[in-house]
Amino acid sequence: MKKSVVLILTLVMVMVLAACGSNTNNNAGTANEGTATSGKTTIIITNGKGEIAAQWEQAAKDFMAENPDIIVEAHTQAVGDTLSVVDKLTASGKTITLAMVAPDTVNGKYKDFGIDLSGEAWVAETDHAFANEKGELVGFPFSIEGLGLVYNKKVVENAVGGEFDPFSINTRDKLVELLDKIKASGVEYPVAFQTEGWSVSNHYSTQFLNQNEDPSVTVNQLKSGELKLADNAAWNGYYDTLDVLVSQDYNKYGERPIGVYYDDAHVSVGNGTSAMLFNGNWAFDSLQAVAGEEFGFIPVPVDNNPENPLNNKIVAGPTNLLIINKDATAEQQAAAKKFLDWIVFSEKGQDFLVNQSQVISAFKNNSNKVTNPLGASIANAIEQGKTSNFALNYTTAEDWNTKISPEVQKYVAQKLSRAELATFIENYFTSLN
Amino acid sequence: MSEQRCRSLIPFIYIKQGVMIMRGKNSGLKSLGNQVFFTGPTLLFFCITLLIPFIYGLYLSFTNMTSPISPMEFAGLESYRTAFQDTKFWSAMWLTIKFVAATIILVNLIGFVLAYLVTSGMKGQNFFRAAFFTPNLIGGLVLGYIWQFIFVQSMPEIGQKLGIEILRLGWLGDEQLAFWALVIVTIWQSSGYLMIIFIAGLVSVPGDIIEASTLDGASTLRRLWSVVLPMMVPSFVVTVFLTLKNSFMVYDLNLSLTNGGPFDTTKMVSMHVVQKGLIESNYSVGQAQAIVLFVIVAIITGLQVYFSKKMEVEA
Amino acid sequence: MVEQRKGFTSGLVFVFLIVALVIFAFPFFILIINSFKSNGEILQSPFSLPSSFSFDQFASAIDKMNFLVTFKNSLLITVLSTAFILLFSGMAAYYIVRVKTKFNNTLFATLVAAMIIPFQSLMIPLINIYGAKLGWIDTAPMILLIALYIGFGSSLSVFIFHGFIKSIPFELEEAASIDGCSPKQIFFRIIFPVLMPTSVTIGILNVMWIWNDYLLPSLVLNKDNLYTLPIQMKVFNGTYMNNWELLIPAILLTILPILVFYLIGQRMIIEGITQGSVK
Repeated sequence: MKKSVVLILTLVMVMVLAACGSNTNNNAGTANEGTATSGKTTIIITNGKGEIAAQWEQAAKDFMAENPDIIVEAHTQAVGDTLSVVDKLTASGKTITLAMVAPDTVNGKYKDFGIDLSGEAWVAETDHAFANEKGELVGFPFSIEGLGLVYNKKVVENAVGGEFDPFSINTRDKLVELLDKIKASGVEYPVAFQTEGWSVSNHYSTQFLNQNEDPSVTVNQLKSGELKLADNAAWNGYYDTLDVLVSQDYNKYGERPIGVYYDDAHVSVGNGTSAMLFNGNWAFDSLQAVAGEEFGFIPVPVDNNPENPLNNKIVAGPTNLLIINKDATAEQQAAAKKFLDWIVFSEKGQDFLVNQSQVISAFKNNSNKVTNPLGASIANAIEQGKTSNFALNYTTAEDWNTKISPEVQKYVAQKLSRAELATFIENYFTSLN
Repeated sequence: MSEQRCRSLIPFIYIKQGVMIMRGKNSGLKSLGNQVFFTGPTLLFFCITLLIPFIYGLYLSFTNMTSPISPMEFAGLESYRTAFQDTKFWSAMWLTIKFVAATIILVNLIGFVLAYLVTSGMKGQNFFRAAFFTPNLIGGLVLGYIWQFIFVQSMPEIGQKLGIEILRLGWLGDEQLAFWALVIVTIWQSSGYLMIIFIAGLVSVPGDIIEASTLDGASTLRRLWSVVLPMMVPSFVVTVFLTLKNSFMVYDLNLSLTNGGPFDTTKMVSMHVVQKGLIESNYSVGQAQAIVLFVIVAIITGLQVYFSKKMEVEA
Repeated sequence: MVEQRKGFTSGLVFVFLIVALVIFAFPFFILIINSFKSNGEILQSPFSLPSSFSFDQFASAIDKMNFLVTFKNSLLITVLSTAFILLFSGMAAYYIVRVKTKFNNTLFATLVAAMIIPFQSLMIPLINIYGAKLGWIDTAPMILLIALYIGFGSSLSVFIFHGFIKSIPFELEEAASIDGCSPKQIFFRIIFPVLMPTSVTIGILNVMWIWNDYLLPSLVLNKDNLYTLPIQMKVFNGTYMNNWELLIPAILLTILPILVFYLIGQRMIIEGITQGSVK
């Protein structure tokens, strides 16, 4: 027994030394923070889109190849982590130079984080640079995304008997007409409406904020209490349309509209069992697995007035911003600014953004086009000027998901009246003061 | 046992109340040297990984941080005040208590029955042991997804075809049924885990005691009740504790199966606390609520362990 | 415990076990059949048999996960952590059971209570202390991770050991000490072998937890050549849709070692009993 104990302990020591060995080897490459030793600047850049982790790393490598005096440490947030990679690295004592964040956080969680980038060259190439409440342009628009009624082209064209222009649906009546036509063509349930909180609350329920050119005006009206939702045409209009979309007449899940339907909805629209669902261009990932067919966007109508500027618009806007840390050193900030320029102006950078990451570029000088049909639809809609703001960027996204979404879902399940929902949302906004 | 003779210490030992007490230096179990040797490492790692971070975490609950990277300014009991006034926290707590009550008996019962059957010496029991173990291998995310599919798609299909009304609409969209879905999956997943502990307990029951009772003519059921179960008390202490802890702190399955839905009716207290602290901008309130949760559950489980340890038979 | 059961009851029991088997093992089975299907097939018909049985997806998953290095990392961490947990917890539990002092009782109560601490409340403190303040996350992440696992795993292990040690007859130790063995020798030569089924069981529980654990490594390991299997698997998770055709093979490849370890462990438990215990 004594011998085996000695043997085990030796084995353990060997393994511990092996572990130490691998640590020191790895640490030989550990970059030091910011100190420009031997003339090199090190920056940490973080990515919030788990799907493009590999592309992000490659971008860092390509950028370093063109800029030998800069070392870039690229990190990506894992999907589903409750602690964001920005918070995690910062709490571990690191200074992140360039962070990818959601636009609404520049007025919330990260309001003291970003520096003003108004003077940068790329600002002229885009309409979507994001300003915070103080008017500083802190956000480099990394990705543009859009949402609306995703429809299966084959099913709809079959129902209307020929070519279909989604922008011909510019009133609610026309949408209902279309749904009836689809039903008549043999599709029992034209709509497969998923009611996950982030979809029906964050995305759908914030559309009414676009009734003012600048959605933050609407938000401020709500905060001051001067906007009463029960009388508001836009707010009611979107919910009238919602009522149609989730109704038992048209919705596959109409009998029990609340549930976990995301995957099933995409399978249905993908294989043609249903004609449309409400989601954004990222829906293509799910649709593609089922069917490679053509898909497009129909704008969500708010009322029956074809002249209403809100009708006939697809919601589109920046969904990820890159911001530069105030606390980084001047050299690091300069290096990060170079990286941003690289994405916009260099060939490899433009290729990384659009071709490799399949992200819709916010910059007019980028001639690449995304290949997935939903992304292309959004890009075209932007070019034609048929888009409205991504209103969610102007209010606190987290709260729409955790606090407001249960109430919206109760409304959909008919456990809450519209008046009660209006009061809840009004109280939420006035309590933010 | 080793053939070597240890140095004879007979004149120096006597036993008092189950503790070896030795006269003379460095020759007894109870000594400072042995205390350090036997409990030192555990104590050291415990301090490093649990005690010190917990104290620090406790300090953070006395700040007013909104996000994990806010500056740490002392704010006294402000976060606790907000925490206590949060009605949703208490309703989540109450919901969780109902959840614990629904799971605790069934999961221990099923775990024990399975363990008993796979240690009874029947043919193929190893195969069954492996089979009942497999739910534990599959992590929370995928497990939640598989069961989601069953509840959202498979059951409605079956309900449609066979005309069973309660199965026809998805369970995860109804407040009551979503709760029971969570209960069922929890029991299903945990029974296998508890089974492993019960197996260890069952195989540790000394064979001669079983033989003796068989010779006495005791029937299987009688033997189970008066001989095996009392010897299983240590196992039950562990499993009841684990059931209480895991059910009170349920999070992964809660997230992946129902995500608290429909409209937050299955949001258990752990999920509420995580949301409050890390997703809403209320980090210190989340910390305070985590501490309150800890205190409440620690008291409940502490009482359970204390009283059931008294029932343990020291051989 | 070998028992002979009468025909009918044993038949009934067998049927019950088969039903239970189906109920418990079906997801595992589903994972296996779905590992050969494409994403579309998985989403639309997860319960049907695959159309083809090629291992391409497995090969793809292995490649994307950098499997060999990741496997080595997971193995190193799990084996070392579990070995130390078993050793230290066994020793501590033994001392706490046999030496009843206020200190030991408090220690035991503290260890048990510590199991209740919600991990969320420790996440920021941990990375703040060992990252920002002490820098161990940069200089020795693997060792830090193993130390954390030892700390977090000790509570449950001590708890289970405690209950089972209590039921070891004291006569064994008495006899040994009369023979002249020191307490350390008594522990390592007599108690530890008798505890084998318990140790193996606790070993299984710890291995299962550490091998599949995502949260701790994700906080502490920041370089991708140090990643463990659960971290690498996350690559196949998408925000809106997971890449099932690679995720499921990855899950199976990760699960297989634990299943093997479990079967070996159960074997050891059974053999340990039939070899006769303590004479």
